[in-house]
Amino acid sequence: MRKSLFLVRANLRKAKGQTMAEIVLILLAAGMMNLWLMLSFDYKQNFDRWHQRLNAEHVTACVENSGAALGQSAATDDAGERKETISEILKKDARTSEFCMDDVMCAEGKITYNGGEAASNFIMMKKGDAEKRLVGKAEILEDGGLEEGIYLPMIYKTGDIAVGKPVELTIGNHKASYLVCGFFNSVMAGSHNCSMFEILMTDQAYQDLEGKGYAAGAVLVSVRISDKAESEEFENMLNHEISARYPGTVLASNSYALVSQSRYISQMICSGVISAMAFFVLLIVLAVVSSNIIHYIQENMKNLGVWKALGYQSRQLMGMLLLQFLGITLFASLLGVLLSWLLFPGINEMMVSQTGIPYKIHILPAPLCVTLAVLSGAVALTVWLSARRIRKIPPIDALRQGIQTHSFRRNHVPLDKTRLPLQLALSLKTTLSGMKYNLTICVTMLVLSLILVFSGLMLENVIVDITPFLNLVAGETADVCININADAKTEFLQEMEMDSRVEKVYLYHSQIVGHVGGAELVAAICDDFSQVNNKEVVIEGRFPEFDNEAAVAAKYARDHGYGIGDEIRLNLGEREADYIISGFTQISNNLGKDCLLTQEGFERMGRLSNLSYYINLSKDAKADDFNQEIIRRLGENVNKTQNMLKVIYAMSTVYISLMKVIVAAILFLSITIIAFVMYLLVRAMLGSKKKEYGILKSLGFTTPQLMVQTALSFMPAVTGSAALGLLASCFVINPLTAVFLRNLGIVTCTFHIPVGFVIASGLGLVLFAFGAACLMSFRIRKIEPRSLLTNE
Amino acid sequence: MKKVIYKTENLSKSFSSGGAMQHVLKNIDLELYQGDFTVIMGASGAGKSTLLYALSGMDTPTLGAITFGGQVISNLNQDGLSIFRREHCGFVFQQIYLIDSMSVLDNVLCAGLLASKDKKALLRRARELFQAVGISEETQRKFPTQISGGEAQRVGIVRALINSPEILFADEPTGALNSKTGLDVLDTLTKFNEQGQSVVMVTHDMRSARRGSRILYLKDGAILGECNLGRYVRGDEKRHKKLSAFLVEMGW
Amino acid sequence: MKTRRFIFVLLLIFLLEAAAVIFFMGREEMPSQDVVAVNKIVKTLENDWDKIAKAEDVPKKGHAAKTDHAKFDYVVIDNSGTVLCKTREHLSETISQAISHRDTILDVKQSEAVVGKVIFYNSWLESSAARKRSAVLCLLLLLLIQATVLAGYAAGLYRKLVKPFRKLEGFAERIAGGNLDIPLEMDRQNLFGAFTESFDIMRAELKKARLAQAKADAEKKELVAKLSHDIKTPVASIKAASEVGFALAESARTQENYAQIIQKADQINSLVTNLFSATLEELQELAVTPDDMESSELTCMLEHADYLHRAAICAIPPCLVWADKLRLQQVFDNIFVNSYKYADTAIRVRSERTGSRLVVEIEDEGGGLPEEELLFIKEKFRRGSNAKGIEGAGLGLFISNYFMEAMDGAFTVENGEKGLRVSIAVLLSGIL
Repeated sequence: MRKSLFLVRANLRKAKGQTMAEIVLILLAAGMMNLWLMLSFDYKQNFDRWHQRLNAEHVTACVENSGAALGQSAATDDAGERKETISEILKKDARTSEFCMDDVMCAEGKITYNGGEAASNFIMMKKGDAEKRLVGKAEILEDGGLEEGIYLPMIYKTGDIAVGKPVELTIGNHKASYLVCGFFNSVMAGSHNCSMFEILMTDQAYQDLEGKGYAAGAVLVSVRISDKAESEEFENMLNHEISARYPGTVLASNSYALVSQSRYISQMICSGVISAMAFFVLLIVLAVVSSNIIHYIQENMKNLGVWKALGYQSRQLMGMLLLQFLGITLFASLLGVLLSWLLFPGINEMMVSQTGIPYKIHILPAPLCVTLAVLSGAVALTVWLSARRIRKIPPIDALRQGIQTHSFRRNHVPLDKTRLPLQLALSLKTTLSGMKYNLTICVTMLVLSLILVFSGLMLENVIVDITPFLNLVAGETADVCININADAKTEFLQEMEMDSRVEKVYLYHSQIVGHVGGAELVAAICDDFSQVNNKEVVIEGRFPEFDNEAAVAAKYARDHGYGIGDEIRLNLGEREADYIISGFTQISNNLGKDCLLTQEGFERMGRLSNLSYYINLSKDAKADDFNQEIIRRLGENVNKTQNMLKVIYAMSTVYISLMKVIVAAILFLSITIIAFVMYLLVRAMLGSKKKEYGILKSLGFTTPQLMVQTALSFMPAVTGSAALGLLASCFVINPLTAVFLRNLGIVTCTFHIPVGFVIASGLGLVLFAFGAACLMSFRIRKIEPRSLLTNE
Repeated sequence: MKKVIYKTENLSKSFSSGGAMQHVLKNIDLELYQGDFTVIMGASGAGKSTLLYALSGMDTPTLGAITFGGQVISNLNQDGLSIFRREHCGFVFQQIYLIDSMSVLDNVLCAGLLASKDKKALLRRARELFQAVGISEETQRKFPTQISGGEAQRVGIVRALINSPEILFADEPTGALNSKTGLDVLDTLTKFNEQGQSVVMVTHDMRSARRGSRILYLKDGAILGECNLGRYVRGDEKRHKKLSAFLVEMGW
Repeated sequence: MKTRRFIFVLLLIFLLEAAAVIFFMGREEMPSQDVVAVNKIVKTLENDWDKIAKAEDVPKKGHAAKTDHAKFDYVVIDNSGTVLCKTREHLSETISQAISHRDTILDVKQSEAVVGKVIFYNSWLESSAARKRSAVLCLLLLLLIQATVLAGYAAGLYRKLVKPFRKLEGFAERIAGGNLDIPLEMDRQNLFGAFTESFDIMRAELKKARLAQAKADAEKKELVAKLSHDIKTPVASIKAASEVGFALAESARTQENYAQIIQKADQINSLVTNLFSATLEELQELAVTPDDMESSELTCMLEHADYLHRAAICAIPPCLVWADKLRLQQVFDNIFVNSYKYADTAIRVRSERTGSRLVVEIEDEGGGLPEEELLFIKEKFRRGSNAKGIEGAGLGLFISNYFMEAMDGAFTVENGEKGLRVSIAVLLSGIL
C-alpha cells in the first residue's frame, strides 16, 4: 500500500495541470449531481413534512351555498344542513379517517402576480378559524401585526406584495383593496396551481366582505383519508356525491396527488435539466479519464516495464492507477458537493418563491453518498476498463525498447501526392494517426452539441418567444375569455359577430367529468375544434369531430392502457356515455388529466349552464376595455371576463427567468468544458509528440506554424462531430425534452428547432475550440530544438 | 582566398545550472569558409555541440555576434531563427531524429515543402539525393522504424540537403551507428563536400575527423588550435600523421 | 485487432438477420382496424344517408375526397341486403361473404334505429403473398453475405496460419541439424510474425554465441602470457638501477650527477620556500580567484563604484572576461575614490577590445600628475605631490596593480588629454 502511494504521488506531481483539469470537471459533475439529488429527493419530502406538520388534508372541496338541494329551494337551504349532508357522505365512506368543515366565502378571483395576473378560486376565511383547524390548518409564517387586513400564501410574497403594503384583489367582478398583514403557508390551498387558494382575513375584514356580498358563502371541506394514494378517486367520489345531492352548485376541489405535483413543476424542470447536464459532464469526465490512462500507459511503457521487472503485479499497478483516480474523484466530488451546498441557498430561494412552501436548508447525507458512490463507481469502472492493457505488457520487451505503441502501417496523406498545403497535410496526418484523441473530441462535441441545441431550443421557444412553450404547457390560449349564462348565448354571439374587434370566437369550456372506473378529467368542450388556436394540443390522431368521439390526455391514456380507437366511458353525475378515442392530447396544466369533447358529444351527458367563450381580438384592440364593454352591454349575463394574456404573462415570467438561468449556466459550462478538454488533449499531444515538435522546429518550422498545425489537427474531429452532433441533436432534442417533461403530462414536444442559433453555435463551437487549442498549444514555444542536444 | 560564410565575434554561451553560471563557450572568434569540410573536435563537455547549435541557429548565443553572409543571426528571435534554418542550414543529428509517424519520403518532403513552393523541382531534387545516397524507391515508402540505422542516417542527410542549404551541420553523424554503416555515412558526406557542399561536423571520433579539410580543436569553450589538412584523400598516410600529431599536441 | 473486426462483422450480420427475421415475423401480424377513421366514414354516411338511400350519390372511392376514405374500400347495404353503393367491384356484398372474408361490418343508424350496414373490405390478405416473397429474398441475401464472409475468413486463415506453420516446420529441422546459417524468411504481416521472428532471433543468437565463445578462449590465453612479462620488467629495472647507483658511485662524473640532482632538489626546495614566504609576507588574505564573467557585469561594477555619478560610461563590448569580481570591484572603487579626492571633476569611461584583452580606460579632468611621479606612483606607500593635506596611505594603486597582475591583466597609469588616465586590462576568457 505504501509503495503504491509513493507511485501515486510521483504520478500526480508529473501531471499537475491535467489533474487540475480533471478535478474541475469532476467538481462540476459532482456539484450538479448533488444539486439534482437534493432538489429531487428532498423537495418532495419537504412537501410531505409540511403536509404532516399542518395535519393537511388529502382532499379539499369547497362547496358554495348556492344551487338548491334536490326538492328544496335555495332560500330554505342553509349551511348547517349542507354540512350535515356532507359529513354523512364522508362517514359513509370507509376511506375517510378524519375531516373538518368550516364556513368560508368563495369566489373566483384574480391577484397581481409577477407583473401579470393569477386567477384561481379564492377561499376567504377568518384567520382565527384557519389556524385552529384540526385538518388542513394554515400556519402564519410572517405577521405584521396589523389590525385589519388579509394574509396571503407565501408564494405571493414578491417585491410588490409585502407586509404593510396594500394589495388589490379582484373578487368575482369586483375590485377590493386590502392591507397585507402577513403571509402563511397552507399545503393544499397555498398557490394558484392548486385550483384554489386561501386568503385569511381578520374578523373585521371578513365581516365587511360578507356585507358587500362579493363572494358567496361556502363550506370548506378538508378530508384526510387512510390511503393517500386513493386521493383522486376519493375526490371524484366526493364531487360526484355532492353534485348529485346539490345539482348546479359551484364546486372547487383538489387532491393530494394533484397538488403534490403541481406545486413542484419548475423544480422538476430545473432538476431534470441539472441531472441531464450532470450526466453529460460525467460522460466527458469518463472520456477524459480513459484517454488519460491510455496516454499514461503509452508514455510510461518503460517505467511500467521496470516496475513489473521489479516484481510489481499488474494488479498492483492497476490498483495504483485506481487509487490515484479514485483519490482525485473523491476529493473533487467532495469539493463539488461543497460547491453545490454553497449554491443551494440561492437556488432554494428561487424554488421557494415558486412553490410557496418554505424549505429549511439542512445537510442531506443521502444525496452526498449517492453522488460519491456514482462518481467513484463510474470512474473506477472506466479506470479498470482502460487500465486492463497493463496486463499485456511483457516486462522484457518494455524494457528493451519500449513497446512500439503505434505501429505505423499507413502513410496518411502522402506529401508527394497531396495537393494540400503543407500545414494542412501535416495536421491531417496527425489527425489520422491519433484516433484516441478524436474519440475524446467526438464524445465531448456530441454531448456539447446536444446541450447547445437544448439551450437554443429553450432560447427560441421560451425566452425569445414563449408561445411554443405555452402551447405545450398551457393548452389553449386566446386573447380574452368570457363566461356567459347559457341563456344569453344567441345574444352574445350576435354581439360578437357585429363587433369589428373580434376576429374569432369559439366555445371553449372546461368542465370536470368523471372517467368511469378512473379519475376525474377536465373536459375541454368546443363547438368547433377547427377554430382553436393551438392545434398542437393533439399529438396523435385528431381532434374529436363527432358526438361519439373524444381526445384524451396521452399520459392518462397510457397509464390506463387506452389506445386510439378504444372506447372510454365518461360520466357527468348519473349519466354515462361511451366515446371513441380519436386522439391523444397533452396539456400540462392539468398534469395529464384532461380530455376534449365536442359540444354535441358533451350534451350526450348533460347541459352546460354557463358557457366560456374564447375570443381572438384584432391587434389594436385592448382586452381590458373590450371586457368592460361586454360586461356593460350584456350586464348580468356575463359571469366572468378574463384577460388571458395577463394571466399567461404572470405564468410565463417564472419559466422565462428559470430558463435564462439554465441557458446561461449551460453556455458557461460548455465553454469551460471545451477549454478543459482542449487543454487535456493538447497537453497529451504535446507530451507524446515532444520529440517530433523538436525535430520539426529544428527543420525550420516556427512556433505559430506548429500551433496552427496542432490546432488544425483537432479540427476535422471537432467540425465533423459538432456538425453530426448538432444535426442529430436537432432530431432527438424534441423527444428528449419530452422525457424530461414527462411528469408534467407531456409526451411529445414539437418545439421549433432554432436553425440560425444551431448554425451559429456550431460555428462558435468550432471557432472556440480552434482558439482554445491554439491558446493551449502556445506552450510549443517552450519546446526548443536545443532539447535535442543529448550529450552536453 | 576562400569566401567566408560564417563569422563569429566574442561568441559566448552560458547556462545557469543550480544558481551557478556555467560558461560553455568563451569568446569564440571564428571564420568558416565556403566549401570547407570543417571538423570540430574536442573532449566531451568542451562545447562542440553548443558551438554547432549556436552556428546553425538552433540556439541563441549569450554574448557575441554571429554573421552569416552579411546577416547578423545572433539577435534573431526563435521564429526568425526557424526561418533562417529552413533557408540556409541543413542539420544531421547523432540520434537521426526522423519523424516516426511519416514515411521516409514524407520526412524529406516535410522539410522541403517548408522552404520551397515548387513541388516538381523538389521531387526531382529528392529523387537525385536519394539516388546519390543509395536509398531505393521502396525504402522511401517505408517508415523510419522499418529501416536500418545507416539507411536512416542517410535519409537524415537527404533531409538536411533537400533545400540546398549553404551549409550542412552534422552532430556526430556516426555516433549511433556501427562502424560499417558509419563509414557509408562518412563517404556520403565526403562525396557531397567534394561537390562543393560546405560541411561542419562535430565529432570526437578520429576516423570521422580524418575526413575534414580543417580541424578545429575545442577545449573548455575556446578554440585551442586548428589544423589545415586540405582535401581528403583516402589512405594518405602523411595527412593522417599530421592529424595525429596535431591531436597529440592538443592533448587528445 | 483484425479478429475483433471480424467478430464485429459477423455479429453485425447476425444482428441484421435477427432484425430481419423479427421484422418479417412482426409484419405478418394483421394490423388492427383504424377505428377512428372507420367511425368517421360511418358518421359521414349517417349524415348523408338520405342521398345514399335514394342512390342519388353513389360514393366512389374517396367518397368525401378526404384521406381517411382513401384507405378503405367499403360497401353499403340497407336492411334488406340491397347494395346501396360501393367504392369498387369485387368486394364482399353480403353479410356472409363479409364474415368469411373477415371484413368489418358496422351498423348505420338514423335516430337510434338501424337502417343499414357498412362492410369494410379486408385488404390485408391480398398483400401478404408479396410480403412473403420479399422476406425470403432478403434473408437469402443476408445468408449469402454471411457465407462469403466465412469463406473469405477460411481462406485468410489458411494463408496466415497454415502456410507459415509449414514454413516453420522446415526451419526447425534445419536448426536441429546444426545448420545455423540460413535465416528464416519473415513476414511481419502475418499472425505469427512476432513468433517466427523470435525463432529467427534464437537462431541468430545461437550462432553469435558460438563465435563469441571461440574468440574469448583465444584472447584469454594471449592476455595471461603478456601480463606476466610486463610486470617482471619494471620491477627488475628499478632494483638494478639502485644497486648500480650505489656500486658505481666512485666515478667523478656520476658523483657530479648525483651532486647535481641533490643541488637541483635543494634549489626547487628553496624556490618553493621563497615563493611561499613572499606570498605570506604582505598578501596573506588577498587571494585572487578569477573566473569567467560577462563583460556587462563590468558596467554594473563601474556604476557601483561611481557613487557620485560623475562618470559617463560608454558601452562595453559584450564578451566573456577572466576576472575576480570582488577584486575588480575593489580596483574600480579605488580609482574612483582617488579621482574624487584629487581631481574632483567629471570622469569618462571608455572600453575596447584589444587583442586578447578588454581594456577599460578611466580618465578625469584634474590635470594629471608630473611625469616623474607617474613612474613610481604604483609603488608601495608612494603618494603624489598633490596629496598633501588629504588623508591616505599610498597603498591603493599598489594593491590594484597587484590584483590586476594576479588576474593576468594589466594596470596602467598615465597622463591623458585633460587629466589622469587609468587603464585596466582584463584578459578575455578562453585565451589559453
